[in-house]
Amino acid sequence: MASFLEIRSISKVFNQGSDVETVGLEQIDLKIEQKEFVVLSGPSGSGKTTLLNIIGGLDSPTLGEVILDEVNITLMNEIDLSDQRRDNIGFVFQAYNLVPVLTAKENIEYIMKLQGRSKSECDKRVYEISKKLGIENMLNKLPSHLSGGQQQRVAVARAVASKPKLILADEPTANLDSKSANELMDMMEKLNEEEGITIIFSSHDPMVISKAKRLIKLKDGKIEKNEIVS
Amino acid sequence: MFDLIVKTAFLSLFRRKLRTFLVVFMVASSLWGLMFMQGIYDGMIEQMISNAIKSDSGEISIYAKDFRRDKDVKQYIKNYKDIEDYIKQNENIKSYTTRVLASGIIATAKYSKNANIYAVDLECEKEHAKLNGYIKEGIYGFGEKSKGIMIGFKLAKKLKLSLGKKVVLSSQNSDNEITSASLKVTAIIKTNNMGLDENGVFIDIKKAKEFLNIKGVSQVSIVFKDPGYMYAFQKEIIRDFKSKRLEVFRWDQLYPALMQSRKYMEMFGYISYMIVFLMATVGIFGVVLVSVLERLREFAILRAVGTRFGIISSIIFLESFLLAMAGFILGIIFGGGTLYYFSIYGLDLSAFSDALDEFGMDAVTYAIIKANYFITAFLAVMSATILSIIVPLKILYKSKPTEVING
Repeated sequence: MASFLEIRSISKVFNQGSDVETVGLEQIDLKIEQKEFVVLSGPSGSGKTTLLNIIGGLDSPTLGEVILDEVNITLMNEIDLSDQRRDNIGFVFQAYNLVPVLTAKENIEYIMKLQGRSKSECDKRVYEISKKLGIENMLNKLPSHLSGGQQQRVAVARAVASKPKLILADEPTANLDSKSANELMDMMEKLNEEEGITIIFSSHDPMVISKAKRLIKLKDGKIEKNEIVS
Repeated sequence: MFDLIVKTAFLSLFRRKLRTFLVVFMVASSLWGLMFMQGIYDGMIEQMISNAIKSDSGEISIYAKDFRRDKDVKQYIKNYKDIEDYIKQNENIKSYTTRVLASGIIATAKYSKNANIYAVDLECEKEHAKLNGYIKEGIYGFGEKSKGIMIGFKLAKKLKLSLGKKVVLSSQNSDNEITSASLKVTAIIKTNNMGLDENGVFIDIKKAKEFLNIKGVSQVSIVFKDPGYMYAFQKEIIRDFKSKRLEVFRWDQLYPALMQSRKYMEMFGYISYMIVFLMATVGIFGVVLVSVLERLREFAILRAVGTRFGIISSIIFLESFLLAMAGFILGIIFGGGTLYYFSIYGLDLSAFSDALDEFGMDAVTYAIIKANYFITAFLAVMSATILSIIVPLKILYKSKPTEVING
């Protein structure tokens, strides 16, 4: 039986053919199953973000293919990739990146609205997820009126609300203090367990790494270590 | 989703309030100025046309064949009664009048000048040409035994004539004899029809027929209930009176310069709208470009989480559209309001009346409002909206979300 996520011989070369050609990833093979809680770790420039971007269809590999839930996303066109991200992948970024003119609630329901879900469905899900993340009292606030930790929780809620199969979180705790970072990781763990969502983090934060159930260490674009932690 | 697109676009305009305000102000003030100028200029031209139609040509004028080429008093319409009967049966005709036209010389004891003689029935002219409305001094009438004469104000000035003064009007009658009459000035008129004001004299039509020894009329001037009917009427009457040696002219054929002025004004209007279009394009383009560049990261995130580029384009288009529409709505409210005010109360340019007289323009100009102003302005602003987002969208499309997000 095929794995939920299969990365087959992925290589990524930046500025290919030029004098400043750089190898981002080299022959990466990886299989990740559903409901896994994976941390990609490694020093800066090791290829963590590049790998996440390729898995999420934000970037294309120079060689190799990504199979997500038995669909080869490397063969998709721009529109299909957009739809794939909208329906199956949730993103959490380092800098929260909420839409500043929309309230927390509107940010959370944004992807559901893109999917064409009804208002009642959106309202129900926003309430449910915001309660889990402890932000139910902040829904009418604009991002500028929220702290960094609160904004990141809203960003997580936005990623989770549409019930994606996979969440990709690129150094989500990098801009948070240790308390907020801890709380966020606890919530992500809870979501992984309760919602059954596969989560892949990239981070070099020891606290995040300590929460990993599977740790993949990257170095110079290659997998150095791939181990089940707990 | 549409509500979020609208909200995102609308609220994004308030991120840089001053910049948004300045562009809205620029579009609104350009439109206001343009509509005001166009309404006033069109008003001036239409007033000149109206004066020419009322005081002389009507919308259609019928003459005896060749009269326009050789204004000999012998070239008169002999069967004008048949034409009058024909006109009376036509329900589309609002009013008509008959006139005798001749060239002559008007003389005082000291001065003499060429004169164009308009022999008229004052009652008919009152209804048809509102001639009584053009009295500058004196009374609307020819006095006792119809021995009065009404004179264009510029001619009166050249002859140094005032009310009650006597003049001798001489002309050649239909027998080629020089005939003259002594008349008293009963009124000085100002029609703003340059031909009439500089050379026109009005005398009684019955007296003129005796004086010139003719049994018909030189001109039948007609005004219609619907001015557009003149084209059809011209064809009809030419067809029906084919053998009667008549010539039928529309006002625009008799006053080609005025028609030309109207066309120039239309062209001026389009050029002005082109300028507004360019200003709006540059203004909106600047705002949208800066706005997109400032928010590249935000748009990259939206694309990353699964927003199709078409939806992002919609947000940007809507921002640009709202910006342009705000300027357009304010512009047409102020522009339309200003024109409405001046269409009722008129723009008093009497301080420049001497200069305006030279061009046959009224001292008080009444603005006109045409639906065309709003439609053209809307199209100009809409085109500006579409054109101004092309480059920002191209920049956004070429940007790679991964590069933008990761800095």
